[in-house]
Amino acid sequence: MLRSGHVVGAALLAAMLGAGCARTETRSTAGLPPTPWVSRSIPEAKGEIRTLPDGKKQAVRYHRWTAEDFGGYRTYAYDDQRPEPRPGKVAMPAIAGDPKKGRSLFLSRALGPCTGCHLIQGDDVWPAGNVGPDLSTFGDRSLPDEYVFNLIYDPRHIFPNTTMPPWGAAGVLKPEEIAHIVAFLRTQKGPSPPEKNRDRDPNTRPKPVGFGDNLDPTNNPGVLRAEGAEALWARKGPAGKSCADCHQGGPMAAMKGVATRYPKYVAGYRRVMSTEDFLTVHSPETTGTPMLAESPENLDMAMLVKMASNGMPVAIDLSNKENQAAFERGRISFNKRVGQRNHACADCHSEGKGADKFLGGRLLGNVEAGLTRHFPTWRTSQGDVWDMRKRMQWCMTPLGMNMLSADAVEYAEIELYLTSFDKGKPMSVPGIRH
Amino acid sequence: MAEIGRVRIKVPSSIKPGDVVRVRVLVIHPMEIVQRRDGKPMDKNYHFINRVAVIYLGTEIAQFETTQSISENPFFSFTFKATEPGPLKVTFLDTHGGTYEGATDIKFS
Repeated sequence: MLRSGHVVGAALLAAMLGAGCARTETRSTAGLPPTPWVSRSIPEAKGEIRTLPDGKKQAVRYHRWTAEDFGGYRTYAYDDQRPEPRPGKVAMPAIAGDPKKGRSLFLSRALGPCTGCHLIQGDDVWPAGNVGPDLSTFGDRSLPDEYVFNLIYDPRHIFPNTTMPPWGAAGVLKPEEIAHIVAFLRTQKGPSPPEKNRDRDPNTRPKPVGFGDNLDPTNNPGVLRAEGAEALWARKGPAGKSCADCHQGGPMAAMKGVATRYPKYVAGYRRVMSTEDFLTVHSPETTGTPMLAESPENLDMAMLVKMASNGMPVAIDLSNKENQAAFERGRISFNKRVGQRNHACADCHSEGKGADKFLGGRLLGNVEAGLTRHFPTWRTSQGDVWDMRKRMQWCMTPLGMNMLSADAVEYAEIELYLTSFDKGKPMSVPGIRH
Repeated sequence: MAEIGRVRIKVPSSIKPGDVVRVRVLVIHPMEIVQRRDGKPMDKNYHFINRVAVIYLGTEIAQFETTQSISENPFFSFTFKATEPGPLKVTFLDTHGGTYEGATDIKFS
């Protein structure tokens, strides 16, 4: 963990070496801005929580995202030092569990759904995932009800490092509901009926084939959006200047290779920034044109700048101490259990856990394959361009975590960590994905 | 989005004489339709592409009549038989008298 030239104080070192799974790792502060960063994003992307007149809290998020406040659960924020919630346990309620109720709870998308990770019997079960073991014959194991109840209530008692959320302890499932699920699982006995549909079982389901050439403008609407930014490049802003005034030769020539070096520590702002973050400050300061994070102007211009580096290998520089410290903090965040579901990015996206498995109908990406060099990407399921930050904001919000601002330092440093896996691989922006 | 009338044509990179070639073409256009509220037309702009002509080696080999039901920045894909090398042009005409043309050269390789 120590790299040459990286100064680590004795106290910090002692704290870092405190072993154990549930450690709260202390981080070096090299490369962090001295004062909290003021968000420069559109209102929906700030991660704001509003207090309504009746005292209830409501989150301000993108259109059609849940407005629920998840303030009771950990986030990636560096000032959120709350420890991981301790494993909880309650006595199993002495009711007769109803397998039918249990089955509909198992499939309910308002809850888990449990089928997101676990396959069970039934032609109506689609799409199930295989992040967790196949439960189609779980009843054959004849495990005690109390054991299964505790496993669902909070699996950490039995599997301390598990990916499975603490459904009962986090308040997603009530103890009575878990009792119904326990009764249902008892009915899952073998032999499983023969498989009629190859897509139903995530273990035989073919992997998605993608959407073809992402750089073909007749195929990827994201390319058209990016080309729209060419007009913005040449247009004079309120300060009387345009991007073209300082960056000669057109965006493709002027920006060639620039995006390969981001995210990086930017000394002028004393924080790590991605291309999108840098635009939020650079554009208003030079041309006067605002370029708020998650605004169409920011997304389109970020795509245009990155397209100038298409085909070039990602070349982020991890040799200076700020970038190294940021990489370390990003790595810690990547592995930090957050939110109501108590998930870390690593739970879904690292080798040996969820990576390359199906979560419901979606294939989970493997961080080691490099997940950043096609961002911003056109998302066919959204009909819109998403950058890496919106993707991060989305990942945890439905899993019960209040998102941070799109241009938050914490996200930038996670992005830097993620981008390290793309190092040496050719950029190809914009991508086209589901 | 790029300016109105920009046309993008894609043909396969290797074409043999006599091949049936699939052409993909996209034109930037708002395709504005009339909108009604309470039965009254609100916007009578009617600015949409209503004719597409495909010209190969100087002769019109296909024409499409399109209506306002086609979406913004319409994408068309069609096939033709590449018998000789030469220019392939796709022309779009809209209801405001605009003419937008995209061209590519069919080469054998």
